[in-house]
Amino acid sequence: MPSIRIDRHRMTIIREGVESIINPIDCVALEAALELREREGGEITVISMGPPQSEEALREALAFGADQSILLTDPAFAGADTLATSHVLARAITRLMPFPDLVLCGKQTIDSDTGHVGPQIAEELDLPQVCGVHEIHLDGDSLMVKRLYDGFLDTLRVSLPALLTVSHEISVPHHIPLGNLEKAFSEGEVIRWGLEHLDLTEEEVGLCGSATRVWKLHKAAAKRGGDIASGSPQRLAEHLIRKLEALSIIDEEEGKG
Amino acid sequence: MRLEPTMKQMVIRRTVRKFAEARISPVTEEIDRTGVFPMEIIEELGKLHYFGLEIPAEYGGAGLDAVSYAIVVEEISRTCAAFGLCISVHNSVSANPVYQFGNEAQRKTFLVPMAQGQKIGTFCLTEPNAGSDVSSIETVAVRDKDTYVLNGNKIFVTNGGLSGVNLIFASTNTSHKKKEFTVFIVESKREGLEKGPVEELMGMRGNPVCPIALNDCRVPADNRLGAEGQGLKIALSTLAGGRIGIASQALGIAQASLDVSLKYAKERYQFGKPLYEFGAIQNYLANMATRVEGARLLIHRSAYLRDQGLAHTKEAAMAKLYASEVAVEATRIGLQIHGGYGYTKAYPIERYYRDAKACEIYEGTSEVQRMVIARSLESE
Repeated sequence: MPSIRIDRHRMTIIREGVESIINPIDCVALEAALELREREGGEITVISMGPPQSEEALREALAFGADQSILLTDPAFAGADTLATSHVLARAITRLMPFPDLVLCGKQTIDSDTGHVGPQIAEELDLPQVCGVHEIHLDGDSLMVKRLYDGFLDTLRVSLPALLTVSHEISVPHHIPLGNLEKAFSEGEVIRWGLEHLDLTEEEVGLCGSATRVWKLHKAAAKRGGDIASGSPQRLAEHLIRKLEALSIIDEEEGKG
Repeated sequence: MRLEPTMKQMVIRRTVRKFAEARISPVTEEIDRTGVFPMEIIEELGKLHYFGLEIPAEYGGAGLDAVSYAIVVEEISRTCAAFGLCISVHNSVSANPVYQFGNEAQRKTFLVPMAQGQKIGTFCLTEPNAGSDVSSIETVAVRDKDTYVLNGNKIFVTNGGLSGVNLIFASTNTSHKKKEFTVFIVESKREGLEKGPVEELMGMRGNPVCPIALNDCRVPADNRLGAEGQGLKIALSTLAGGRIGIASQALGIAQASLDVSLKYAKERYQFGKPLYEFGAIQNYLANMATRVEGARLLIHRSAYLRDQGLAHTKEAAMAKLYASEVAVEATRIGLQIHGGYGYTKAYPIERYYRDAKACEIYEGTSEVQRMVIARSLESE
């Protein structure tokens, strides 16, 4: 596991030189988009905000089946919290011609895990939003979606255009054929938009445009928990049985759990 | 000079690893135990272009460069050496020669289904009396109007048990003192071709290695690959690519051994501390890691030369020689690190140990590789 390097001045993680991957649940969202396109037709555009090496992930998205990939990249975008990030993404969406019928996001990322960006984009674009969806169907000119919420299964009708965030249950991402990767990297095009393309100011984006500041960032020390024992298999088995009995996981007399 | 993989090559590595861990890893132990390949995985691999790695897209392949090809074989072999062997042999010494030396009709008839994994390929060279000494082969092909009649016995045919297309290496002019060799594309269903029982192997279990007998097997002249007498040229050209493939396979085994040995050394405690804190174990792992990296660099350099269209016979031989010896050593030391547990089937290291040895033997023994390198040095 490569060590994480932190910019102590800006309290951000140094991403340069680090391999970036597509957020796993975004692959799920993309697979859901592919299934929708196969049933109903349409075009899929993948948009991501990140440093220049994010192009790698966007080409992977093309190999996955997206029709178009757009990378929002500018030094000014760096250090953004979820609000500044969603502001840039929302602006990029307004630049798409025609305006999309549906914006699909993963429910949350595996790094900061906030789940904010999808709902923040929806609010900025004044779109109806449903989070954590695991089923989508087009019904006339609106969508029928299902999601599990607090132990209840909700079925909702959503008018278009809309934004949905998806949960893992909606789809299983397919494995990418290797020829698709070759084509995406040799012929595919990743469109790049920066500050000027999106008609944004430096104050609205990046660290400047963030409503929150990271105060402290440090690796949590992983305590090695548990009881390390050594000895012959016989002794170890006896030791384990005594421990499990002490925790009432197994019954002393019956020897069962 | 660029030594780092490209963005594309990093994504390819990641993609193959994801597939291997999701689909092949759960069945690797069973494959080794039963010696049977699950055909549904072969079909999946076919749809994902694993059987047409360097074949252009117009024939249904992935159109990858040689470095990317090496990465694919390495990553598959890291999870299952038997599958890595299947993919390497099919691509390097069966599909590739059909592409390089076949005419357009042969490419359409044979290469397209091969590239899509619908027909798995073999390259039948070795015979009971001809291993390293290729010129001793006794399989003959006699011209009879617009057909050739083939008679002979091929052994240790990798992929033999599930192949649909076989490249048979035969002599076509036994009357002359200097033998002439020719390659023929022979379909498995052709009358006169018989497959023997699958060998019970020490390792690479799952790959259906078997003998193939040719008894008055009539093959249309259109199935001849290249010209009469071009067989040796085809074999030598093919083997250079084959060596990059097998070197990558050996590297995958060595890398897997390093991965599990590192993990075990951190988890296993003796004398109150993890094995990793003992100098002897650190030395073992440091040597292993260094040699694995060295093998990777040799492989990627020979693949890079191949991609540039430059001569790479010596470099490919060096890569195969070194990587195979690194695999044998890495698995031997890895098993030693695992101690008694490593000698049981509860840990994968014993399978890696059994798998690694074959890499020093097939696709040209280590002795033959040294011969090739020495000859190359002589002419420098």
